[in-house]
Amino acid sequence: MTEVAALEIAGLRKTFGGVVALAGVDITVPLDQILGIVGPNGSGKTTLFNVVTGVYRPTAGRVVWQGEDITGRPSYEIARKGLVRTFQQAMSFKGLSVQENVRIAWEHRRAVRKSRSAQWASPQAILGFVGLAGHERDVAGSLPFGNLRRLGLAVALAADPMLLLLDEPGAGLNDRETAELAELIRRLPGMGIGVCLIDHDMTLMHALCSRLVVLDFGSKIAEGPTAEVLNDAKVVEVYLGSEL
Amino acid sequence: MSSNGDPGYGTHPLPGPPPQAGEGNSLRSRQNLPPPSRGRAGVGAADARGSRETVVAAAVLVLVLVGVPWLNPGYRFLSVAISTGTVAITLYGLALLFGQAGIMSVGHAALMGVGAYTAAILSMRLGMGLWSALPFSMFMAALAAALIGLPALRVSGHHFVIITYAFCTLLAIVLTNGGSFTGGATGLDVEPVGTVLGINMDRLRNYYLLVIAALLASMLATYLISASGYGRTLRSIRENEPLARAVGINTGLHKVGAFMMSGAFAGAAGIFQAYYLRHISPTLYGGLPSLYIAMSVMLGGARTLYGPLGGAIIVNFLPEILNIDPVDSRIAYGAGLVAVILLLPRGMVDGLIGLYRWAARQRA
Amino acid sequence: MEIFVQQLVNSLSMAAIFVLIGIGITLIFGLTGIINFAHGEFLMLGGVFTWLLVSNGVNFFLALIAAIVLVGLVGLLLERAVFRFTLERPMNGFIISLGLSVFIRLWNSYQKSIPSPVEGVWQIGGVRIIAMRAVVVALTAAAVALTFFTISRSRYGLALRASVADLETARLMGIPVRRYVTGVFLYGSALAGLGGALMIALFPITPFVGQDVVVGGFAVALIGGLGNVAGAVVAGTVLGFADGLAAGYGQPEWTEAYSFALMILILLVRPQGLLGGTEGPASV
Repeated sequence: MTEVAALEIAGLRKTFGGVVALAGVDITVPLDQILGIVGPNGSGKTTLFNVVTGVYRPTAGRVVWQGEDITGRPSYEIARKGLVRTFQQAMSFKGLSVQENVRIAWEHRRAVRKSRSAQWASPQAILGFVGLAGHERDVAGSLPFGNLRRLGLAVALAADPMLLLLDEPGAGLNDRETAELAELIRRLPGMGIGVCLIDHDMTLMHALCSRLVVLDFGSKIAEGPTAEVLNDAKVVEVYLGSEL
Repeated sequence: MSSNGDPGYGTHPLPGPPPQAGEGNSLRSRQNLPPPSRGRAGVGAADARGSRETVVAAAVLVLVLVGVPWLNPGYRFLSVAISTGTVAITLYGLALLFGQAGIMSVGHAALMGVGAYTAAILSMRLGMGLWSALPFSMFMAALAAALIGLPALRVSGHHFVIITYAFCTLLAIVLTNGGSFTGGATGLDVEPVGTVLGINMDRLRNYYLLVIAALLASMLATYLISASGYGRTLRSIRENEPLARAVGINTGLHKVGAFMMSGAFAGAAGIFQAYYLRHISPTLYGGLPSLYIAMSVMLGGARTLYGPLGGAIIVNFLPEILNIDPVDSRIAYGAGLVAVILLLPRGMVDGLIGLYRWAARQRA
Repeated sequence: MEIFVQQLVNSLSMAAIFVLIGIGITLIFGLTGIINFAHGEFLMLGGVFTWLLVSNGVNFFLALIAAIVLVGLVGLLLERAVFRFTLERPMNGFIISLGLSVFIRLWNSYQKSIPSPVEGVWQIGGVRIIAMRAVVVALTAAAVALTFFTISRSRYGLALRASVADLETARLMGIPVRRYVTGVFLYGSALAGLGGALMIALFPITPFVGQDVVVGGFAVALIGGLGNVAGAVVAGTVLGFADGLAAGYGQPEWTEAYSFALMILILLVRPQGLLGGTEGPASV
């Protein structure tokens, strides 16, 4: 966790009018392990992603990506630096084909530096990876939900991320689909793509994440190895109820 | 359900997939009819036929357009054709803006006006002719678009529509009160075209061919832009702007760029129209003409290659040539537009092509 | 100073018309996102229906009521037959409204007018008040009061405000949004019909009057804040005054320009309008 190529969030604060969505959060996101972010609804998880990726400007605090201060930069600029996010609601370019969806992200991906080998040679290969081969010509708006989630992942991957921020990628998927998705996500760090993941599915988090951060009311209330955090009394009280 | 997402053949859509049943909430989709079949999922004889059809259709169109003067159509016919051609050029610009980027503007008459007045003033003050003033007209119109677009495209699409309309009306007021510089309410005269590239453009036939050349260039440009990565970028902004930003697209910049591009088309149309009319005045470029431009594009179809041309022909050309009473034509036009939007969301040209295909299938 | 007050008083009736149109537009546009450029034609129809009836011997005030009802029905009919299919794509609704407005102007272009239904001029402290104009303002005030009362006190008003604020959530909470859409079309057009009837009582109108006022109506709605009735009242009054004052102080050519420039400025600097309104329904 000492390499430069990490995401550092320091003292991040975001208020909307009188509502404090983020109350000063410090997190360091590594690229070689999967970090999970959990917390009750309204705890600020999505807001965190939004502020980090430039959708909102923070009220205070800093975001440093690969040693560069990106606080308050516009979202398209941040995406081009290799910090890519997906959305909680399944987003796609609804009226365009699957192929076009991925191709658009591919065409705007950050310039591939010579020292970094691209994992995939073409948008086609990415579609293969997420399991949408053969669906190239389907219109995104007509996809069943599970495939829509895969498409969202494919589009994010086509943007050539170094770190992927996934916002509830499993929401709305059944157990089988979730497991298949987990398989895909698990392979990413090994391919040089860091993952930071928000979700509520504790089984998924347990399976994928080596470390967890827990947010509540915009503050970090726990952080550490997954098993430890999930057994922490504070976390249990605030979030988990009785059992996993 | 699958459909062809690549530059489609046969139906001559602009590259990009057709809207699905349910899009547009049209009557058709509400009756749960299956979408009309569009495109094929595989390659084969059907595609080859489609591609041949496209080329043949394009060739026929070019031949017809270029060949018209040799059929002795008469002064009036050529005159109306020229006017229609200039409007069609604006329509292609608007089709790019709305059809690809999803931004509706009802200010394009004003942008034509900027092009026209630039040309008239350059001619009056600096003696510049059409050919030398053309780039200036396009540039000034694009600049005007940038000036409006930079602040205005940051707000929602609905607000933008109103702003473009307001701008149109404002421009008309400014032009009317611009004193001798803009000729005030009476406007400015424009010199005859004279010679362009060594050809005498005062001969109507030659001017017609010049306009047709510009029109064909506009159509080609529209096609190439739509098929390019830039076209895909614009479509992504139309489909889901937040997602576009999330994959690294500077949507604000591209929206202004698209508006400027469509402005350039309008500026060119403006100068061609100005030299045709030989006199321009503020009322030509106010709110009402802008509304007609928007309506024409929607009637013809903003996302099909021949849609804007069709729209111009239906709205400008046919009523004049067939000597339809303007009141009647307005009524038919208004009612027709409503019907087209509800029933043929892709526009009349696409509807006609669909009809032709259906008839062809019946014969087979 | 007296002249200034006189100008203000003279502008009140114009302000009233703007308010009536503005309320209709702000509700319709705020709820559905449809830019109904045909709204001005509702005003024109109100005036023309009134003219038709009065020309055939009907008492003005009865004609006014009839006009309100008739135009309301036209609005209802258009919503049911045409606009409701464009809710998913309000831009289509806009284009359709353009077609409709072209279509509705069926009458000849001659001016139509009626004799002033209420004669008389009052003098209050050196200011001349034309009785008919006072009637216009009074009736408008009554309509505005009625609207306010409904919107702020009744549960329908509450549901409407909720839908304007957040359409999706309102739907999810079981509010029959479609019915409210029909309702605002009906009510908005009825108000415009009232405006038209009052307008023709003041001065002659042509079938093209709709076009002239409709953009003013949108300016009012946007400046005041979409879906915000109070905003429409304030903005309509301000614009009416600006209109009247500019005309009164001798710069008639620029009056339109001022209101447009103001509207553009507000849209850019504070898109939610002066008094705050919805940004419009999130585009689908």
